[in-house]
Amino acid sequence: MNHKSGSNTGIRYIFTLVLIFSYLITSAQKFTVSGTIKDKKSGEALIGATLVVVSDPTIGVVTNEYGYYSLTLPKGDYKLLFRYVSYNTQEIPVMLDKNTKLDILAEPEDRQLKEVVVSSKVSNVRNAQMGMTKMNVQEMKALPVLFGERDVMKMVQLLPGVESAGDGNSGFYVRGGAIDQNLILLDEAIVYNPSHLLGFFSTFNSDALKDVTLYKGTAPAQFGGRLSSVMDVKMNDGNDKEYHVNGGIGLISSKLSVEGPIVKDKGSFLISGRRTYADIFLGLSPDTNINRSRLYFYDLNTKFNYKLTDKDRLFLSGYFGKDQLGLGSVFGINWGNATGTLRWNHLINAKLFSNTSLIFSDYNYNITVNNSGFSAKIHSEIRDWNLKEELDYFSNPKNTIRIGFSSIYHTITPGAITGANITTTNKPDNHTWENGIYISNAWKPNSRWNIDYGIRLSIFTVFGGTDMYELNEKGAIKDTLKYGSSEVVKNYINPEPRFSASYTLTENSSLKAAYTRNTQSLHLISNSTSSNPTDKWVATNNIIKPEIADLGSLGYFRNLKNNMYELSVEGYYKYSQNQIDYKDGANVLNNDAIEPKLLFGQGRAYGLEFSAHKTQGKFTGWISYTLSKTETQINGINNNKWYNARQDRTHNLSVVGVYEASKKWTLSASFVYYTGDAVSFPSGKSNILNQTVFYYTERNGYRMPAYNRLDIGATRQLAHKKHYSSEISFSIYNAYGQQNPYIITFQDDPNDPSKTQALQTSLFRFVPSVSYNFKF
Amino acid sequence: MKHNHIIYILAVASFILPSCQKVIHIDLNAADPKYVIEGNVSDQTAIQTIKISKTVSFESSNTFPAVSGALVTITDATAGTTDTLTEGSAGMYMTTAMAGTPGHTYQLYIRSEGKVFTSTCTMPQPVTLDSLYVSKSVFGNTRGAIVYTDPAAKGNYYYFAEYKNGVQTDNIYIRNDDLVNGQVIDQTLSRGGGESKLESGDYLTISLECIDSAMYQFYYTLQQTKNQNAATPANPQSNIVGGALGYFSAHTSSSKSVLITQ
Repeated sequence: MNHKSGSNTGIRYIFTLVLIFSYLITSAQKFTVSGTIKDKKSGEALIGATLVVVSDPTIGVVTNEYGYYSLTLPKGDYKLLFRYVSYNTQEIPVMLDKNTKLDILAEPEDRQLKEVVVSSKVSNVRNAQMGMTKMNVQEMKALPVLFGERDVMKMVQLLPGVESAGDGNSGFYVRGGAIDQNLILLDEAIVYNPSHLLGFFSTFNSDALKDVTLYKGTAPAQFGGRLSSVMDVKMNDGNDKEYHVNGGIGLISSKLSVEGPIVKDKGSFLISGRRTYADIFLGLSPDTNINRSRLYFYDLNTKFNYKLTDKDRLFLSGYFGKDQLGLGSVFGINWGNATGTLRWNHLINAKLFSNTSLIFSDYNYNITVNNSGFSAKIHSEIRDWNLKEELDYFSNPKNTIRIGFSSIYHTITPGAITGANITTTNKPDNHTWENGIYISNAWKPNSRWNIDYGIRLSIFTVFGGTDMYELNEKGAIKDTLKYGSSEVVKNYINPEPRFSASYTLTENSSLKAAYTRNTQSLHLISNSTSSNPTDKWVATNNIIKPEIADLGSLGYFRNLKNNMYELSVEGYYKYSQNQIDYKDGANVLNNDAIEPKLLFGQGRAYGLEFSAHKTQGKFTGWISYTLSKTETQINGINNNKWYNARQDRTHNLSVVGVYEASKKWTLSASFVYYTGDAVSFPSGKSNILNQTVFYYTERNGYRMPAYNRLDIGATRQLAHKKHYSSEISFSIYNAYGQQNPYIITFQDDPNDPSKTQALQTSLFRFVPSVSYNFKF
Repeated sequence: MKHNHIIYILAVASFILPSCQKVIHIDLNAADPKYVIEGNVSDQTAIQTIKISKTVSFESSNTFPAVSGALVTITDATAGTTDTLTEGSAGMYMTTAMAGTPGHTYQLYIRSEGKVFTSTCTMPQPVTLDSLYVSKSVFGNTRGAIVYTDPAAKGNYYYFAEYKNGVQTDNIYIRNDDLVNGQVIDQTLSRGGGESKLESGDYLTISLECIDSAMYQFYYTLQQTKNQNAATPANPQSNIVGGALGYFSAHTSSSKSVLITQ
């Protein structure tokens, strides 16, 4: 009943917006200036650049994901002011007596003079969006890194409200959300497992990336499908003016990128690859366990774009990555993501921009076991086909309307086992269809207000073909339900309102508020402390319901000294329904029906995020601090009482500083501190089968010791010429060698078997690295 | 078998990744003592033993208080006979007149200090351990390897108790016939890099026990509790009703021994 009335409201809402939309089309009687804003040197389109009218800076426009803008104004002479972080501002005169096409070539600032790290490219005071950070990948290069790999997933973890999942894990928690509640997109394609090497690296090769935007639960209506955040990663288009090669050589990996025009100023390509080679050294070890081990990854990013006509442009981008891990011929596992995106930009008219995308995304793993007479292959996969259409309508300087849909067909192959003597029958593939239609408007009613509002209607369709179950009140299987493969088992319809607004108090300060609802229909099932390539994605079905989260947030933003300092405080409260946890002792790895092993409940999270950021000068950096609480309540766990979620971290502090010591040397440091994870430790012990077995009484009732770490780095420019530049970077990860706990285990004391002890295992102490990067 | 890949992944990772360990002190609560019951009914003997003890706090030494003076009975529900066990050494309750029979259902009843614990377990049909020989595990350690034939009907669960020089080791090996129903199984008993080592002169005994699915689940979750790598560690799933830790297992067993000479 809830769903039904909800969807009616949603449909009515959309109709109203469509009415406004058509009214705006017919009533416009002014002239439009429109075009694309690009980097002068590389031809890369600039996302989120602003253009404002000099005589009235409250009138302006922001470029979309393809660098396109359109501004409709009454007839007259104007000066437009272009602004974008790490580009020179420009004043552009426009005589508007007819519709005018105006492409803008923006000139990058001289990096030697001004090193900026991670900064919001849009003025954080005026923009309606809150809980959002845009990062410029090129600008991250000054930060210290682990193993010499600049990694956007690691950078994101230094932002307020974002917490690292710990050493050796590329996952992160946003505002108390779980790792699987982050939507990670690479050129619109979902990346299901964004980690390499068991989580020590992410799948993102920063050389191929242009822009990373993180929305902390407050994403606009075009995004959907995850509860806690959207990390929207966009690849470079490739230089359409000249050929360039850049690369890097590090201790354990190397990378190389080539880019250039296909036809000058019309189309370009980018190919970027990297591979680790630590495994080559393994072969040198005399230890047979080590020299038989394999552990490496490689990945490849490619992108092509071509301007067909003045109004049409095609983009084709792809990612392919693979990890290999093995032990001789006994055991092997490989896993990897593949994504492909074909996009067509079409200008219907100067005010109406269309983008159509066909997106493929795949994650799979393969295991081979060949041990003591048992040999088998296991294959598991999740595969998506997605068709998206989106229209940006730049109706007038006060309204920019976005309307679109996305339709994803998911196929999940559960671990299918094959082998010479295997007698099991494998489960058929699971098929689901995830649709979203949305409309939103960026509205500037007057100079003080910026309001983004919209709605997304999510429709999740579960198809038959696999066994569905009916459970009894104890959660055991009562009946198995059979549906044909084209039969619809269930539809879940959820309207998701999205609203965010900013109110400008003074030139340099504003208040913001946001409310969003998100739903999630794919769930990651994992019962391991570290990210594992075989963690499995399970789709919503008749028993597993879509997760729903409502997030409300309020913030105060203030800039000082001509935007040199950006300060903000944001508070949030999030309530989640249909949260999933496992029954005690559940084996979630085998192929038995998963439903009887799950329990469902609710979650709540609230917190305060403080951030102070210095964006200009020789010394730049930021401090972010989060005070938060995250709890879960699930009947059947912890005597049905609320308990701390594992990722409940009371305090979380990040300090980042970059200092440009001279023209040649840049120094950097970052420090993190956070409260230890909430974990279950034993509250006693027993003797069973003549050995000590620890006794647990409550869920997540203890804390890991607090985590803290300092990383330092230094980069020296070696050559900086017009056609050749190179630099060498040094860094030390965990500079003071803090032994942060990776895991704590309990055991009999080997020196005194009548006693028990707690043993802490730490990874990484003082990991130095050096890498050499070049570009020509 | 499938969960084994985690062991391999962790093993390979541990060879390669730098890590360090240290003993730390953590303030752990002392939970109220809980009953721990270990009950066995075997088809090899008429002497059946039930052991009752209690948990202690983490800081205590590893001496676990025996529970004396309990009323303990075992009922063969199939044959309709009940035996009251007598306490030998403290906390050890015994009968000498209940030979286990495959296919029979056994009920355990315990009353102590006003608390009642019960459990029911059916003894599966026996499977014979055909041979035990010495082999190398994939990690290069000397291990025992066993051969047996899984029956044609699906739903067999095995526990392999390992004894070194007559003392049970802390390795827990289990297997079911999900993937290999009705086949001759030849497997090395190995549980990864941390397994205890066998050396020349050791006398190795393996006892193949046919257990029911609830006992399989107990051993499976006991392994998980011991491994301590689950995100949500928990107690082994007991088949005892009434709030005790431990198990009540009616099983068949077939054993072989070998002297390690290499």
